[in-house]
Amino acid sequence: METMIVIENLNKHFKSGDAIFKVLKNINLQINAGECIVLKGVSGSGKTTLLSIMGGLDRPSSGKVLVEGESISKLPDLHISHFRARKIGMIFQHFNLFDHLTAAENVMIPLIPAGLDMNEVNHKVEASLKLANISHKAKSPAGRLSGGEKQRVAIARALASDPAIILCDEPTANLDRNNSLKFIDILSQLHEMGKTIVVATHDPLFDTLPFESRIIPMEDGSLVSTVSEDVLEQG
Amino acid sequence: MKNSPFIHFLMLEFFKERKKHIGVISISLVILFLLSSVLFISSSIRHSLNQTLAWEPDFVVQRIQGGQKVNAPTEWIDDLLEVHGISKITSRVYGRYFFKSKEKSFLIVGVDFMDEQSHKALRMMMDETDLKEFLKGNNMLVGEGVSSHLKAHFYPNGYTFLTPKGAFKKVQLFKVLPKKSNLISNDMIIVPIELAREILGMGEDEVSDIAFNVPNDDEWENVADKISAFYYDLRVVTKEDIKKAYENLYNYKGGIFLILFLIVIVTFVLILYQRYSMVYSSERRHIGLLRALGWSIRDVLKLKFFETMMIVLIAFVLGVALAYLYVFVLGAPLLAEIFLGGANLHNSVILVPVLDFGILSSIFLIYAIPFISAVLIPTWKIAVTDPKEAML
Repeated sequence: METMIVIENLNKHFKSGDAIFKVLKNINLQINAGECIVLKGVSGSGKTTLLSIMGGLDRPSSGKVLVEGESISKLPDLHISHFRARKIGMIFQHFNLFDHLTAAENVMIPLIPAGLDMNEVNHKVEASLKLANISHKAKSPAGRLSGGEKQRVAIARALASDPAIILCDEPTANLDRNNSLKFIDILSQLHEMGKTIVVATHDPLFDTLPFESRIIPMEDGSLVSTVSEDVLEQG
Repeated sequence: MKNSPFIHFLMLEFFKERKKHIGVISISLVILFLLSSVLFISSSIRHSLNQTLAWEPDFVVQRIQGGQKVNAPTEWIDDLLEVHGISKITSRVYGRYFFKSKEKSFLIVGVDFMDEQSHKALRMMMDETDLKEFLKGNNMLVGEGVSSHLKAHFYPNGYTFLTPKGAFKKVQLFKVLPKKSNLISNDMIIVPIELAREILGMGEDEVSDIAFNVPNDDEWENVADKISAFYYDLRVVTKEDIKKAYENLYNYKGGIFLILFLIVIVTFVLILYQRYSMVYSSERRHIGLLRALGWSIRDVLKLKFFETMMIVLIAFVLGVALAYLYVFVLGAPLLAEIFLGGANLHNSVILVPVLDFGILSSIFLIYAIPFISAVLIPTWKIAVTDPKEAML
């Protein structure tokens, strides 16, 4: 299987006065294309930071992140922005929608720097909303949507530029069980479409996903072990 | 451009967040309106002054004794006639006449209507006065301020002057000078030269000052130096000196306003700067999210630049248009008083519309550059940080 993401000797630390806080410690990980990875751990274990570095939202203190063989850790702004726009679909814990814009307008945002014309943008927005099953709310202001609807708009936005990688940061933290299960359904569809998915969560619902996935527990900035769910099922 | 998603998004952001912009546009509008009004008034006054002073002679010779101006002897005219390069020598008779309580005074100007040069200099103010009729009796032409003052004190048709010899001299109001010359003629009374001498108590052999022209500009300095050496108490005043004296007065007032506006603009810009650079502001999260969704620093700056330009242009066009109406249509009530106030008599000047590119670009630059910088610098600072940090 083709390798999508390779993380080598990754460290991340923050300085606060004289103190240094090590958030990620010597992370090594390989993620294949089409694979679903669940980073599990309590708050402060470093999973969100790892996800941010994979998505090019943050830079490592040392080590490398290679996406499709290209190191993204030291890319200049224009390149890392293009990388985020084309390769990454990001789903945030708090949805991070622009409340004053409609669902469709929110989905449009990642497509604006791509240099497409308005017809192409509209076409992609419609397709993404349909995929996330939220087309009926296309013209509703994001601020008036329920939590589950906001999450689906966030998914549509993440899918708008048809990225190869979907990164989800605590995607069900603000959803009830019913909406969380709906989210997992959509994730299942994305998995079927061949998207590479990385989820950072502490939600037990992700322990038993209805599709093949790899759970990677994190603790105190380190990967504890790598366990494949199908191996667990066999075992 | 119409089909551009960027323009579409720019418009969406601008109009859907209009509540956020209304406050900024309103404050900008007030600042630009006041700034434009002041610049329009001062440039209009300067324009009118230049036009009025164009009729003034190149030089005026005065007599200074004991540090103050006194009447000059007419024999000085003969001395001037001998200087090569001088033309159109005119003796002038004028002086201040204090009205009753001495709170107000008129400028009495005696005109030798037989002297073409003297007549020409005042032609603009006298408009189409019937000179023949005017010279038949003791008549006067008065500025609008004088006319209003006389009417207010129950002298609608004329005034009886008290001469230094204690005699009364009744003079009929022949005509009010046109309003367009108010800047100069507001407190002026034009009478025949003999009548002026009588009212002001001046002898036949003395004049207030002597005016003349020097057609060759290159000779101005030489002529001024030569004449200055004639008498120890002779002072030569150039047209430029008079112009500068007027301009300094209005520039001084305009300058005070300009400093006040600069203070207001700096304060406003600092508030804006603070708003955009606030660590936990929604602007910061907004920028961070755009960056997280694949926007480059350049894309973010482009959006903020055009958004700010729209605010600046809306405020600029509205501010300047309102100021134009206020100054040139309504006559700048209140504000014009500050510029023209402090004068001897109430002066209602017609502000001639003057709208040159220099004024407009000055207004735009004084306002737009600090405004745009106050938005773009903090935006850039946020945009260059990692999106994750900006979104916190």
